[in-house]
Amino acid sequence: MFEIRLGDKGEVVCEGRLDASQAGKAQAFLDALAAPDVVDMARLEYISSAGLGVLLRTQKRLLQSGGGLRLVNPSRHIRDIFRYSGFDRIFQIDDGA
Amino acid sequence: MISARFHRSFDALDQVFGFTRRFYDAEGVPDEARLVLDFCLEEIFTNCVKYNRGNLQEIELTLDRAGDRIQARLTDFDVEPYDITQAPAVDISLPASAREPGGLGLHLVRRLVDDLTYDYTNRQSRITVTKNLR
Repeated sequence: MFEIRLGDKGEVVCEGRLDASQAGKAQAFLDALAAPDVVDMARLEYISSAGLGVLLRTQKRLLQSGGGLRLVNPSRHIRDIFRYSGFDRIFQIDDGA
Repeated sequence: MISARFHRSFDALDQVFGFTRRFYDAEGVPDEARLVLDFCLEEIFTNCVKYNRGNLQEIELTLDRAGDRIQARLTDFDVEPYDITQAPAVDISLPASAREPGGLGLHLVRRLVDDLTYDYTNRQSRITVTKNLR
């Protein structure tokens, strides 16, 4: 199961498992936001390369207008995936919102 | 050792993960290894789906434990050979503007598992990943 929604502070909240069957849902949600900035991953259990593609496409769009995503509270496993992908060079990744 | 066959579709991932979860629970596989194995199986499974779209054959997944090693094998039937162990490397040092989605999955599979092998015989591709639990 995967859920994506806006949190109380306007942050994007991702929960569950972001796999290839859910990437379209995540991309559509992010594409509908003019300038998302924070993505809270505290309850995101799993991400595959399809989910990484969603984040990368969104980041490329935002960078063109001077914005960018900040990825907060990823699990240790997801942090490792980000590091092995080089995402720690192209996203700001933090432990707290 | 257990095996099952799955429809060639992204929508089959829920069933794939249900199958792996039952195996992990029965074998007491730790959480970190579950996430790594599921990641690798999804990347290889979706690769089979994407690059053999006209194929109506199901994809077989076999899971086995030998001591502290988990082996997972995906068999894709009636396909042309594609050795995923030879997939091009991804330059992860590039800035976002120069990066493109795609290619990261197999790069990460190679990074995460302890062994990855490819075998092709009788128009069947067999990809085996091994994850050590210690």
